[in-house]
Parts: sequence; C-alpha cells; structure tokens
Amino acid sequence: MGSVDWGVMIYAIPYMLKGALVTLEISSLSMLLGCLVGIVCGFLLLSEIAPLKGFVRCYVYFVRGTPALVQIFLVYFALPVVGIEIAPFWGAVVALGFNAGGFIAEIVRAGLQSIDAGQTEAAKAIGMTHRQTLYYILFPQSLRVITPPLTNELITLVKSSSLLSAISIYELTRATQLIISAKFTPFELYALLAVFYLVIVSALAQLSEYIERRLA
Amino acid sequence: MTDEAPLLKVVGLTKVYGATPVVDRVDLVVERGEIVMIVGPSGAGKSTLLRCINRIEDPYAGEVVVDGVNMAGELRGGKLVADSTAETARKRQKIGMVFQRFNLFSHLSAIDNVAIGPYRVLGVPLEEARDRAMALLDRVKLKQHAGKRPAQLSGGQQQRVAIARALAMNPVLMLFDEPTSALDPELVGEVLAVIRALARDGMTMLVVTHEMQFAREVGTRLVFMDGGRIVEDTVPETFFANPASDRAREFLRRVSKPEDFENA
Repeated sequence: MGSVDWGVMIYAIPYMLKGALVTLEISSLSMLLGCLVGIVCGFLLLSEIAPLKGFVRCYVYFVRGTPALVQIFLVYFALPVVGIEIAPFWGAVVALGFNAGGFIAEIVRAGLQSIDAGQTEAAKAIGMTHRQTLYYILFPQSLRVITPPLTNELITLVKSSSLLSAISIYELTRATQLIISAKFTPFELYALLAVFYLVIVSALAQLSEYIERRLA
Repeated sequence: MTDEAPLLKVVGLTKVYGATPVVDRVDLVVERGEIVMIVGPSGAGKSTLLRCINRIEDPYAGEVVVDGVNMAGELRGGKLVADSTAETARKRQKIGMVFQRFNLFSHLSAIDNVAIGPYRVLGVPLEEARDRAMALLDRVKLKQHAGKRPAQLSGGQQQRVAIARALAMNPVLMLFDEPTSALDPELVGEVLAVIRALARDGMTMLVVTHEMQFAREVGTRLVFMDGGRIVEDTVPETFFANPASDRAREFLRRVSKPEDFENA
C-alpha cells in the first residue's frame, strides 16, 4: 500500500478552486433560473387555463422521466442541430436550470395545495380572484413548507453540475479529472473532490436552515 | 337596484352532492335591515345555503340575486350568460362572510388581515387601508392587538378580527356560518356582542347558529331548515313559543333538553 500523496493535493487545490468557482457560478445561475421556472410552473399547474396546465405537465413529465445527463447532452448536442447556438457555459445553466425547474414546479404545487382550504375560502369571501389568492395568501404561507424540499432540490442541482464534466466544461469535477489524468493519483484527488462538494453543500444547507428559522 | 327591491332574493336554490340534495329548492327573500337567524339540525343544509349564496360553492340549480345583481351571470337576450370566475369574485366583494373556524390569514397580523381586502382587492392605498382597518379593529375592541398574528389571539379575538375583515369590504350583506360553534363557552359572549352591535347598526345578515337564546333576542326573523328545505319561516317569538311543524318541535325539544337524549 502506498502512502497518501499530500503534495499532489496541495498542488491541485488552486486548479480545483478555479473549477469550484465555475461550479458555483453555474449552480447559482441555474438555481435562479430553476426557481423562477419552477415557481411560475408551480402556479401554472394550479391555473384555471387548461392548455397551460397541460404544457407544464408535459415539461415536468419529461424532466422527471429522463436522466439529467441526457438532458445536458440534448442541450449541448441537439440544440445546435436545430439551429440554436448557445455557449457551453450558458447551455449548462439552461440544462440544469430547466432540470431543477421541473422538480421545483412540483414542490411549489404541493406546497400551495398543502395550505388549509379555509384560507382559500376566506380569500374568496373578500372577493379575491384565484390569482390574488395564490399570490397573496397561499404562496407566502407555503414558503415554510417549500423550503426543506427546495433545499434538497438545490443540493441535487449542485451535485448534478458534476455531470457537466461530460461536456468538457471546466467545473470542479472536470478540473479534478484533468489533474488526475496528468498525475495518476485518483484516490487523493477524488477524496479531495468529495470534500469540496461537502463544503459547498453544507454552506447551502446552513443557508436554508437560516431561512427556515426566519420563516417560522 | 331600487331601494324597494329586496336585498337578497333566492329562488329554487339547489345543491346536490352525488345524488343527495343538500339544499333542496330553497326560496328566500330578505329585505334590507333584516336579521335572519337560520337554525336546524346538523346536515339540514344551513351552511351550504350560505356558501351557495356567495358562490363559494356552485349551486346545482336556482337563482341568487343580491342587491339587484344576479350572482350567476348576466341576462343577455333572455339567456343567462355565466360569469367568469373573476366576475364572480368581484360580485362577492359586497357579501361578507364569517366562518366557523375563523380562517384568518395565518401569515398576516390582525391589522393586515383586515387591510388586505381593501388594499389588494379594492386598490385602496396601503396607508389608508391600514387606517380603516385600525378603525374597524377598534370597533370590535381589538385595537391593542392589531400587531398580533392569529396564533397569538384567542378564538374569540380571532373571530372578531374575522368580522372586521369582512366589514372592511363594506358589504351590503353579512353571512355568519356558525360563528361561535368553535369557541370555548366563555368566549362566545364577546363575539355575539359584536354581532349584536352590527344588528343595531342596521346591517342585513343571515346567521346560522346553534345559540337559541341569541337567535331569539337578536333575530328579526327565524328560518328553520331540515333536510335541505326551509320548513318554517317566521318571527323568533312565534317559532320558539309555538312552532308549527312536528320537526321544529322535535328540534327544539332536543336543543332545550339534551339530557333527555343522552341516556336514551
């Protein structure tokens, strides 16, 4: 058994930090996009307009039913074929954002539906429309219910961003793989890679707990 | 919308769950200022009648006209064109409703529970809506609790906020759906006092209640329902002193002497 090569880990850290920065950039942008898409679609799933509801259902069905990696490949390889040119970085944001959006839509819908029916009746009784009831009564109350599953989804998103290594985006996993292929020290560097993800995900979980406390 | 027309006209109102009619061809005409107490055994369709009047539930058949406005839609060329849901929402604004379980908006303070209707629905500026809400909270004697969330208030206080919330929309008609049934006995009085005060101010109301003493004292009219139908429609004194139907007599006996039935 060889001993652990600490030197290569020190060597790798600056490169991995560079990759981590890209991971953070892509993750935060896709989180933003995913939350936006997810909230809008969550509302639409409860909309009174049937075609919109149907469209969103198809979208959620697709996102849930296909692997994230396949969705990334579709954005990266298939979109250019149909004439949509998009930079790899933004392609990654779009793929991960729309992937998360599908799941977040379901989380938001379930959150809105979990609120007591009496709240909707009271809103109706003072003349609120369906939309006003959703915006001003149900959504604010659902935030507390939504936060924990939403956090899970955002954590999944950060981890899924490692799939982007497959389309040669220089994010954290890709950066690490490149060093491994040069230095042949997979154990040390994959272990270090795991620690990097743990730190990012822990920070996210902390933030979520803080928000949940504030909403309580 | 002349003043001579009745404030509320209900014709043939019917609500069916599955194959069971819960409200069965109910006719009811209510004049301005009347305080109609609706009593009857549970399952008589009292609550459903109220909920069909403001269309929180869609009636199966029949017509509801409030202050000259048909709640279902507009007559165009002799045909009734159904309202959009937004139009129904607009028509509901002038019918206040108070629920058995209060249903205050749990994320809002007492004052914002009252202010949100005028602010979001009527478009009143927030400051003005809050001022008005404060005046209404004062009217139900809760000014000092304005900043509290519903969870920090007692049931009686919550129900008084709920009444203020309904009044904030300047309703022409108030519907009370068992407003004291979910309250601890010692909190019933404060809510009834608020409803009494409203009655004195001339508000037209329909009150579903199990408080017979209250119905007798405050009601100007009493409707007894059973099996989805209005069985008696009279003044409270007559109903309590001399009920016309067997079903009403049976009901009053059960209400006045529950102990007779506990050991039966």
